[in-house]
Amino acid sequence: MNELVVIGAGSIVLIGAVMAITVRDRYQKLIYLSLIVAGVMPFLAEKGYLDVLTVISLIVPISTFFILLACRRNV
Amino acid sequence: MIALQICVVVAIYAAFRVVFEKNTLRKLPFLNVVSFAVSGIIVLIIPQPLALLAAGAYLIGTALGSNAIASTLAGDEEG
Repeated sequence: MNELVVIGAGSIVLIGAVMAITVRDRYQKLIYLSLIVAGVMPFLAEKGYLDVLTVISLIVPISTFFILLACRRNV
Repeated sequence: MIALQICVVVAIYAAFRVVFEKNTLRKLPFLNVVSFAVSGIIVLIIPQPLALLAAGAYLIGTALGSNAIASTLAGDEEG
């Protein structure tokens, strides 16, 4: 695999993880969680795990929706 | 090979735009740009027809998630 892809996807994952830890807003945390998932996908594609990639792509929006339902109410 | 490099550069640029954008609602289009670039990377890395299905599933799923976040955020700001 190209080194540029490794560096790019890894930096996207690291940016998403660091910002998801440091940011205080709830919706911004969800946005950076989606950024982490987007960065993980090229590593799955590089090894050829296409079934895992498809299943994760279908599960992540459902989990995002349930996290939204949990964080919408002001506790 | 140059198309793959262009997709990676677009993904990194959009990720930095997501980080440095102040308004939360304006982060979401750049998140969609990251998703488009990543689905392009998936298709360009794997030389199989099944990669098209996987990239399509990823594209549809991430657009659904971003729109769910955006609509919930807009409804939360209104009321």
